[in-house]
Amino acid sequence: MESMRIEIWQTEETPNTTVLHVKNELDSSSVEKLNEVFAEVLEKYPRYVIADMSEVTLFSSAALGRFMGFKKRLVESKGDLVLAGLTLEIKSQLTSLGAFKIFRSFANVSAAVNAYKWEREGISQALTLSFPPELHFVPPVRQLVSRIAKQKGYSSRDSFRIETIVDEVCNNAVEHGDGEQRRDVDLFLGIDREKVEIKVVNTSNPSKVEVLKQLSKSISKTAMPDLQDKRGRGLALIKMLSNNLSIDFSENGTSVHVTRFRGD
Amino acid sequence: MSTPEKKDEHKIKLKFPGDSDYIPAVRKFIAEMLQSCNFSPKFAYRSEIIVDEVCNNAVMYGCKSSESTIELHFNIFSNRTEFIIKDPGGEHDDIERLRKVVEKRGEETALKQQSKKDKLGLEIVRMLSEEVDFQIDENNLTTVRVVRKKDDVEAAPQTG
Repeated sequence: MESMRIEIWQTEETPNTTVLHVKNELDSSSVEKLNEVFAEVLEKYPRYVIADMSEVTLFSSAALGRFMGFKKRLVESKGDLVLAGLTLEIKSQLTSLGAFKIFRSFANVSAAVNAYKWEREGISQALTLSFPPELHFVPPVRQLVSRIAKQKGYSSRDSFRIETIVDEVCNNAVEHGDGEQRRDVDLFLGIDREKVEIKVVNTSNPSKVEVLKQLSKSISKTAMPDLQDKRGRGLALIKMLSNNLSIDFSENGTSVHVTRFRGD
Repeated sequence: MSTPEKKDEHKIKLKFPGDSDYIPAVRKFIAEMLQSCNFSPKFAYRSEIIVDEVCNNAVMYGCKSSESTIELHFNIFSNRTEFIIKDPGGEHDDIERLRKVVEKRGEETALKQQSKKDKLGLEIVRMLSEEVDFQIDENNLTTVRVVRKKDDVEAAPQTG
C-alpha cells in the first residue's frame, strides 16, 4: 500500500490551467494532504484545474468528498476541476457513486487541455480533406462534417444544416468540376464554439465557368432566388442556410467559402 | 456529357487536430468511404477498428501539443486498402515503447510478455491486417502504414 503523492504542475502551453498529478491511494488518510494542496492551489494557481488520475489506484469516498468541495470553490470563482486519465477500475467505482454527474472526465491531460482551450480560450480547430471528384464520396464527407459538429457540441439542427451545406457545395464541385483534369476536391473545415467555416476548392469545367460566375453574381444580389429557375437552386439553399457565402474564380480553381454561425 | 470512368485507385488525404473528439467521426468516415466503393460492411468495420486503434495511439502518445495534427492518407484499391497515419511524435518514453513494439514484431513470445498497455492496441491491428510498418524519424515524426487486403478477409472462414 503506497500513500498518496500529489504534485502541482503548470506547463508553458497551458499557463491558465493547473495540473494536479495525483499518485497511489487516495484513502481517508490522504484527506489532510488533499486539503493542504487544494488550499495552495486556490491561493496561488490558476483556477482551472486538471487532476491527472492515471496513477491513482484507490479513490475513497472521503477523498471524493474533498474533490467535490474543491470543485465547488473553483466553480464559484469561475474555474473548474476536471478529471483525466482515470483507470477503468476507478472509473467504474466513480460511475457507481454518480460522480460523473459532477465531474467531467477526459482520457488524458492533453484531452482535458484541448477541452479547456476549446471552451475557455475559444480556439478554432481545422480539418482538411482531399477526395476524388466522385459523387459516391459525398455522403461520407457530409456525415464526417456533421458528426464533428455534433461532437463539438453543435445541436442536431445546426449539424444537419452544416451537413446540407457541405453536401450541396461538394456535389456542385464534383458535378461541375473539370472531368478531364479530375483534380481532387479540397475541403477545409474550420470550427470553433461560435461558427463553422467551410471552404471547398475544385477546378471548374471551363464550359461552365461563365454560367457559374453569372449565378454567383445573381445570388449575391438577391435575397431569394427565382424558384422557377432550375439553375442555382443549390447555391440559393446554401445562401439561405449560411451567414456568408462567397465564390472566387481564379487560375487555382473555383473556391466556395461559407460561414455559418452556431444556432443562427 | 460522358461520365468519367470510375478509377480503380482512390487517394484520400485527411488532416485533423490531435484531439480524441475527432476519432469517432473519422473511423465512421473510413467505413462509409469503403462501403461506397463496394467493400463489404465486415471489411469496412474491421478497417474502422484499425483506424481507430492507430489514430487513438497517435492522439494519446503522439500529440503532446494542442496544436498537433494527425495526417491520414487513405488509399483504396480494388482489392485492398492502405492507411498511412502520421503524428508529430510524443515523449521519449512513449517513442521508446513504440520502438519496442516495432522491434519485437514477429517475436511471439516477446509480444506475449508485454503488458496490455505496452502493446498499444497494435496486436489487434496486426491481427486485422496483412502489413503493418512503422517509421520513427530523427524528429520523432511517427508514421504507421497498414495494408488490409480484401480477398483474405472476404474468404476467411466464419468463426463462432
